[in-house]
Amino acid sequence: MLGKFFESLYSKVFVNIVVDRSQSTVYIELCSKDKVLNSYEEVFTTNSLSSDMLDFISTYTAESPYHYISILDKSATQGAVPTCSKNKISYYEDVSTLEYKCFNKNWTYFTSQEDLYALERSYEELGIDFIFSPFVLLAHFFEDKINDHTAMFILIEDSFISLSVFEDGKLLFSEHLDLEHTENDELLMYEDTDDEDISIDMDDGIDLEDIDAIDDLDSLDDFGDIEDLDSIEDIDEFAESKDIEEEFNESVSEEDMPVNEADGFNEDYQRFALIQSSVNAFYKDERYDSVFIESVYIADGVGVSNDLKRYLEEEMFLSVYIRHVDLATKVCELAKSELTL
Amino acid sequence: MKYSYIRARDKSALTQEMKLLLTFFSITLFMLFSTYLFLVFKEYRFSQERAEIIQERYDLNITLDDMEREITFIEKETFLSERVYTQNSVLKESITNLFDLIPSRITLSQADLLENGLILYGITPNKDVYNFMLQAPLRSIFHKTYSSFYPADNGWLRFVSTNYIESNKLEIPVDEESEDEN
Repeated sequence: MLGKFFESLYSKVFVNIVVDRSQSTVYIELCSKDKVLNSYEEVFTTNSLSSDMLDFISTYTAESPYHYISILDKSATQGAVPTCSKNKISYYEDVSTLEYKCFNKNWTYFTSQEDLYALERSYEELGIDFIFSPFVLLAHFFEDKINDHTAMFILIEDSFISLSVFEDGKLLFSEHLDLEHTENDELLMYEDTDDEDISIDMDDGIDLEDIDAIDDLDSLDDFGDIEDLDSIEDIDEFAESKDIEEEFNESVSEEDMPVNEADGFNEDYQRFALIQSSVNAFYKDERYDSVFIESVYIADGVGVSNDLKRYLEEEMFLSVYIRHVDLATKVCELAKSELTL
Repeated sequence: MKYSYIRARDKSALTQEMKLLLTFFSITLFMLFSTYLFLVFKEYRFSQERAEIIQERYDLNITLDDMEREITFIEKETFLSERVYTQNSVLKESITNLFDLIPSRITLSQADLLENGLILYGITPNKDVYNFMLQAPLRSIFHKTYSSFYPADNGWLRFVSTNYIESNKLEIPVDEESEDEN
């Protein structure tokens, strides 16, 4: 009772940290009840807790004892499975070393316990209150679409892609893709299995000229049902199923989006390749209920180029809708919703 | 905890600064309160003492009255004692004078002092000695003098002299003849 009274006297400080490959974005919001008093954002060129960052955060956390530090989970070993039953989770993942939580009694998101402890240890000096899964952020961000659409939802971070397929609010499939560590290996493996004569010199990175998009398209032949669906009626149906509202929003926000065309091309292709292989795995894996993906909603947290959209549209025949997302702000919203419970 | 993997750390408004602040505030309040209690106690003590003093004054007043009464009584007693002393002195003087009146040849055997009189018993060698040496001074003092004689064994005379002073005649002295009885 007394605690609630004191809490109402103080303003709340939400510190939200999003760690990228080489930088950390710190977004701080000062709130009094439901009103946002002030917000500050600072980018630090470090992916761990530096003294600069600690000083910056401490300046604001010192203002109120009610400060909450939230961070977006950057573990490579994380994902989501389409069940909440403890017995069934092990059918998809070995949960012995995982920390998992059920989302709306519908599906489960998980992460590696070890990575969770490591994250807590590395920010020990600051102390962490909330660690959010990118899948939760994705579900929260596309709240309006997930419940009544059958589509693929993708959250694009600097070094990760969180991919999930929902059918009317029910999770069918999800995968967390690490762009930094597994991309080359997976890509190589993927290309190798298709007997492509591509020689990739690791020192020079991926030679884009050697990668033939059409060849990748051939791999889509593996998708069993696609040929059956590939009729004029279905195409019409696709045209009808276009999300006009989303397209409008996209066209409005497109002007403000920061797009790094030059740097983005290479990474966007990698992203596309990862998405493609992931979708392929979804169609092939018998553990997951298969559904034909018509559209994809992308929450763009980094500012991808139009190439990714083009790839997905042209090579996977998907209706692509891209929404820009400010990850740190979304993490802040999650932290706030956590407190109102 | 709905979405987060971990639970938020417990937040308390009691930061170090707040604890320090509260400590100082509580010390100040404690001191104020103790001062207040001290003053209340003191006031109570004062009022109690006041009541005691009032009671004491009342008691003293009563004692004073008693003492005044006592003083009055003692003054009266003193006055009385002085009177008695004076009377006694007068009496003593009277008795001395009386015995001075008795001539050496007459022997007194008993003397009764009355309020307004004197009865003398004695023995005299003869009537003349008595009449001239004792009756004459007695007559000058008392208004009424009665004498009676009867013979003793050795030939002397025993006498009884009864003398009275008439109080109304003290202010208006009237010469009265004494009677001789034989």
